Amino acid sequence: MEIVVRSLVVSGTATLLASTWSIVLAYLLVRSPRTSRPLIPLLEGMVGVPTVLIGLLLYLLLSRQGPLGVLRLLYSPQAIVIGQAILITPLITSVAYRVLTHSWDMYGELALSLGAAEGQAAKIVISESLSGVAAAVVMGFSRALGELGVALMVGGNIRGYTRVMTTAIALEVSKGEFELAVSLGIILLLILAMISLTLRFLGRLRE
Amino acid sequence: MNGIELREVWFKYPGSKEWALRGVSLEIRRGEVLVLVGPNGSGKTTILKLAGGLYRPSRGEVTFWGSNIWEVNGSKRLELRRAVVYVHEKPILLRGTALDNVTFAPLLRGVPREEAIKIAEELLSDTSSAYLSRKDRREMSAGEAQVVSILRAVAAGPKILLLDEPTAHLDREKRVILTNLIGKLRSEGMGIAIATHDHLLALRTADRVVIVENGVVGSVGRPSEILDCC
Ligand SMILES: Nc1ncnc2c1ncn2[C@@H]1O[C@H](COP(=O)(O)OP(=O)(O)O)[C@@H](O)[C@H]1O
Ligand SMILES: [Mg+2]
Repeated sequence: MEIVVRSLVVSGTATLLASTWSIVLAYLLVRSPRTSRPLIPLLEGMVGVPTVLIGLLLYLLLSRQGPLGVLRLLYSPQAIVIGQAILITPLITSVAYRVLTHSWDMYGELALSLGAAEGQAAKIVISESLSGVAAAVVMGFSRALGELGVALMVGGNIRGYTRVMTTAIALEVSKGEFELAVSLGIILLLILAMISLTLRFLGRLRE
Repeated sequence: MNGIELREVWFKYPGSKEWALRGVSLEIRRGEVLVLVGPNGSGKTTILKLAGGLYRPSRGEVTFWGSNIWEVNGSKRLELRRAVVYVHEKPILLRGTALDNVTFAPLLRGVPREEAIKIAEELLSDTSSAYLSRKDRREMSAGEAQVVSILRAVAAGPKILLLDEPTAHLDREKRVILTNLIGKLRSEGMGIAIATHDHLLALRTADRVVIVENGVVGSVGRPSEILDCC
């Protein structure tokens, strides 16, 4: 149970962090087509980046001899948070970009025509597409919760400290303890399904 | 110049090869109703959006009270833009009721909520639309949404109002209401530009009519001179 909670807290924090900058970034990209034209395909290409690649990169950065070694973050929950946040940034940004582009075409122009300042227009555009933006966030959360590479490589799967659902499943399987692995797997699936259902419900409520 | 001026404006939509406008010049003055007529795709909407400061001309100038809005900076531009409101042909309402929507425009300009609600309620009742106040945007017909989007623009208190096909979704009763509203706003000194196919609306409201064709502005004149020819 403790593992489940840790998973949710770690991935939740990562999602919160990544969402904050990703949504801002997505909005800025919508507002400056000249930058987004080359950048969006790049971001979209990075959506499926292997988690072990991010894990490796972060490992090199955070390891004792690495440039950020002094922070002593390797094998800590914070390291997983950072890694997962980086991992899901392209996903959230590119999905939010699509949603916000669509919303801008309608509501951004409306806001400007009614005399909105730039900040007021942003507020309108984002609030009118809240369910879509929320979907982007949830997709990010799902990916963070379900990834293994980062958690394993920079978290270290330390019991009671950095062990999360996916690393626990991997470990149990490698030990041949399929029962715990399967029940953790089911919990993981249930959580993801619940999130997606909640989202649909919220979306319908707001529409 | 008391209003908006387009000077030799050329405009191309991003990604498009064709010019949508080719050297359009016209003035929209306060206290006057200018009606743009012309076939579909001739450029009426594009002209209104340029006049509303929503699109930047590819060439030429758009000035609000003599200032080129694309050359003045942030706060000055906002101030100028707030003097002009464009209303889309296809009504776009924000989440909430008619009252929420009409209140929204004054709120955006920093009018206190109570006063904004007063403005909105007055407008709605003056146009026999009070019955819409509590209606959610999802429950409105296209015509009702169009009325609300026009009232929202009026509530913003612009000096110049740009209406794109304002009667497109309106029944006869609502057309009469709109015609009266336009007359009243004009008498209060507002300048109004209307793109429309509705010749009756043009005849009843216009001081000047311009014909737009193929991205250029043709003849300009009084409604009776222009309209019987088409
Ligand atoms: N978003 C757009 N992208 C590309 N071309 C457009 C766009 N909107 C309009 N156009 C083109 O610009 C021209 C003028 O259109 P518009 O101003 O909408 O005409 P009207 O309002 O008189 O029907 C048309 O040829 C139309 O195809
Ligand atoms: Mg049009």
